[in-house]
Amino acid sequence: MQKISLFKLFLIFVKIGAILLGGGYVILPILMNEFVERRNLISQDELLNYFALSQSLPGIIAANISMFVGYKLLGKRGSLIAMLGIITIPFLTIILLASIIESFTENLYIQSVFWGVGIAVIALIMLTVKEMWQKANKNLFFYIIFIASLFSLVLLNFSPSKTFLIFIIIGVIYKRITTPMEAR
Amino acid sequence: MIYLQLAIEFFKIGVLSFGGGYATIPFLYHLSQEYCWYSIEELTNMIAVASITPGPVGINVATYAGLKTSGILGAMTATVLEMLPSLILVLVVAKLLKKFSDNFYVKTIIETLKPVSCALLLSVAINLIKPELKDIKAMLLLSILLILSWRTKKDPLFYILISAIIGVGLSLM
Repeated sequence: MQKISLFKLFLIFVKIGAILLGGGYVILPILMNEFVERRNLISQDELLNYFALSQSLPGIIAANISMFVGYKLLGKRGSLIAMLGIITIPFLTIILLASIIESFTENLYIQSVFWGVGIAVIALIMLTVKEMWQKANKNLFFYIIFIASLFSLVLLNFSPSKTFLIFIIIGVIYKRITTPMEAR
Repeated sequence: MIYLQLAIEFFKIGVLSFGGGYATIPFLYHLSQEYCWYSIEELTNMIAVASITPGPVGINVATYAGLKTSGILGAMTATVLEMLPSLILVLVVAKLLKKFSDNFYVKTIIETLKPVSCALLLSVAINLIKPELKDIKAMLLLSILLILSWRTKKDPLFYILISAIIGVGLSLM
């Protein structure tokens, strides 16, 4: 296994931030190519492990896995550099492009592009639900929490953070009662 | 003051959004209702722009929302604060990998977060579909996209490009 400099690591993540488009799932093959195949800095198993962990942590999956890789290679500094690297290009593009794109929002073509992309976003959100649903361990607990939280969000109009807080408390209490002491 | 509010709200998003970039959208909708930093219509456009510009959509849309709220400094605050919880968690998890995943409370919280996240995303999908229900073209496009994804999910960019092309095509007819 080789070493890598902090600056080089930053540049690689700047590049990755620029290649990624849409969802972050494409990052796995890109990282595989950069760090496993081309540079042999990290093993494939480790990378897959980080990918799985990144999905079970909150936040942007692409950023999470980048920070794991950064930490693995250069410790705390590495994960900070990975984070800064990955946000550089998205940040600059939005700052520079947003105002330009916005000045065209009256344009018929731009409007129809936005209309189409708006529908695609609905589909992508539904696909995210489907994916999470398929991956989840669906026991009675899952169904009850799912239905109750959907009810609170849609009909009672609870805010997302309030909903999370309430159900985390309910979940912990429920599991404490139903899980025997030894199994905790 | 607005920076502090922005910082707190985006830190919360960073802590609570499970399921990647699109999972941050419900929170952004909630923000538009609570603070009037941007309108729902502006947010829909922002998500569209964030989806077609380089970078993970979750980062782009956070930068954009921050920019809209209070300029470049706001963009910086929103982006960095949304990442901060992940950074902290990654450092903790990478260090205590085994201990962390065996902890009863950590396991329970993660187990609870999954169904709530599913419900949250579904509720946003419902809210987004409502105004489109009478638009036959929109419903048709949505059904086509869902049918296309039925067996295998393709890259998000694929759906975005197809929909943009169909959108322009329809406007020419």
